[in-house]
Amino acid sequence: MSTSLPNTVVPPARVRDSASGFELSRPGTPVGALLAKTWRSREVLFVLARKDFFARYRRTSLGLLWALGLPLVQAIVLAAVFTHVVRVGGAVRAVQGGPHFSYAVFVYSGIVGWSFFAANMPGSSTAVVDNSSLAGKIYFPRLMLPLLVVVTGIYPLVISLGVLLAMALILQHSVGPEFLYVVPASLLTVAITAAFGVTLSALHVYFRDVRFLVQAVMSVLFYATPVIYSLSNAPESVRWLLAFGPMAGPIELFRMATVGADDAWPQAVAAGGAWFVVLTILGVWLHSRFDRVFVDRL
Amino acid sequence: MSAPVIALRDAGKRYTKYDDRAMLLSALRLRSRSTQSDLWALRHVDLEVQEGESVGILGRNGAGKSTMLQMLAGVTAPSEGRVRVDGRVSPLISVGVGFHPELTGRENVFVNGTILGMSRQNIERRFDEIVAFAELENFIDTPVKFYSSGMFVRLGFSVALEADPDILLVDEILAVGDFAFQLKCYERMQQVRARGTTVVVVSHNLGAMRTFCERGVVLNRGQLAHDGAMFEAIGVYHGLMALRDEENADDPTLVSREEGALEVVDARLTTESGEPAAHARAGEGLVLTTTVRAHRDVDRPFVGLLIGTADRDICVYSDSNVADGYPSLRAGGAQTYQVRFPAAFPTGSYTARMTLHRHVDEYRRVQIGMSPTISFYVTGRPLVGGLTDLRASFTAAAEV
Repeated sequence: MSTSLPNTVVPPARVRDSASGFELSRPGTPVGALLAKTWRSREVLFVLARKDFFARYRRTSLGLLWALGLPLVQAIVLAAVFTHVVRVGGAVRAVQGGPHFSYAVFVYSGIVGWSFFAANMPGSSTAVVDNSSLAGKIYFPRLMLPLLVVVTGIYPLVISLGVLLAMALILQHSVGPEFLYVVPASLLTVAITAAFGVTLSALHVYFRDVRFLVQAVMSVLFYATPVIYSLSNAPESVRWLLAFGPMAGPIELFRMATVGADDAWPQAVAAGGAWFVVLTILGVWLHSRFDRVFVDRL
Repeated sequence: MSAPVIALRDAGKRYTKYDDRAMLLSALRLRSRSTQSDLWALRHVDLEVQEGESVGILGRNGAGKSTMLQMLAGVTAPSEGRVRVDGRVSPLISVGVGFHPELTGRENVFVNGTILGMSRQNIERRFDEIVAFAELENFIDTPVKFYSSGMFVRLGFSVALEADPDILLVDEILAVGDFAFQLKCYERMQQVRARGTTVVVVSHNLGAMRTFCERGVVLNRGQLAHDGAMFEAIGVYHGLMALRDEENADDPTLVSREEGALEVVDARLTTESGEPAAHARAGEGLVLTTTVRAHRDVDRPFVGLLIGTADRDICVYSDSNVADGYPSLRAGGAQTYQVRFPAAFPTGSYTARMTLHRHVDEYRRVQIGMSPTISFYVTGRPLVGGLTDLRASFTAAAEV
């Protein structure tokens, strides 16, 4: 072995990367350090998310067409069923009004927001446990794991926004600048999903019931969220409760971009914002408190 | 002296074994905390490491070595006391498939490097070196799911070594990769050390530890048993290995045990010439001598020899179970048994122990006693692999 011996080489003076050091005297990473580390790793999040998304369609003959095809099929079926087969949606039409109102567009704009939440929240809430083999060997903010799931979901979301635009153009004949409301609508959708994921992923390490609790709640929440109906269709007595649902706000914003929002949209959006703020604070606190001890329970 | 790069102060790590089903209930205080039991993996550990030192951590399985490495890597926080690490840590471990099996080698380098705290520019600058060191030039754009485990390990190590950490943590490096790559890693670690990087190594390979680390730390049952020069540490470690440990008795062919028939009053391992054999040369003849005193009469006793590796695996068992056995033992009488065997082992750490049995019939025997475990270190056959050294002879002859 030809090895440079320590005393024959004058090593350049090392500059210690003290910023990367840490002091652990209690379980936990300070909130500031946690967020700073996560921010520094943001590029990794996007690389992994892109990979995750494109990997899904590897080795399929249609490839990425599936990513476009699935939401398209869903939209076409909705349009066909609700414009030619069954004429439901009269109750919604009565409260939403408008000469060019399309119930299919109404439902699809709800589905865009809901399916992002339904597709990514459960995976996000189990992300820390699901990646336990990695977590035991190397430190990185565990916060990244639920965020990764949510960021990956942005790709299909963008595609379904395109489908929504096409659907609105075809079925409602015109789309105004109000379609730009899909931007805040999408942001709020992603933010709320991430907030749930961050909080629940921490709780799930300690309470494995979370996985099944989430599944149970999701099936109920679908009906408690104005996806296929409008808030105004609900009786006065429960309307405030439905508006308080986490996904009512984003969905109302998607409606605003297409068929027009319900009168109760400000309450719904405020409630969505509140879910986001409260869960983000709780989730980041949980991660900052338990970040360095999650591994003991994995 | 400047501030230490690693400082543990009264550090301890407690693991709580929960009854899993009760976790939610106990959190809600519906159950008392008595359903939990605590285990201290490390306790009251004080350790300071200065910049540029290379420290080897020795200890038997379960002594707390892995917990210590996890704390130094920042993966887990101490339950009491403090752990301070001043600088960037890079654990030299095989990262496994990591985040995503569809990532190519190139993307994996980028992801792992970022997680290890390298900037993007830094990764790009060192990229070619990383790939060259891992010998993966032709596969760097292949998804890692097609990599062999060896390729994976090479890539993981390569990134960790090139990450230019302030502190390099090495867990059983010489247990992975092929021999050529191990040598290369070893060489690179020497270079990294020459650059002033602090290195902490955990390994059961005492030979590697002795050449690589000046300082040795011995952990025993979660406590710091020794901190000093490596050669002293190896002595302390051997001493610990020799301590009698009942849970260590994993004899493969045993039917049952019987206590109280005899007691072992002396056991020693020597060379043929009678020298203590803590360090044996490969192939040298060794003698394990055990003296017992009988408390009861024992008909047809016989003895066995159990050789194990440092991490307790049995590698050889052999006994004198002949139909006649040895002369019967009479209560109150003493007897000395000897077993001779060659140190036919590859370089490394081994344990020897004599077991004493009572013959029942051809297939059954009852263990009535066991000598303490005696550790010894075999030198001189580093390139031999496996459990024993066959001392095979190789010849070549030209075909006529």
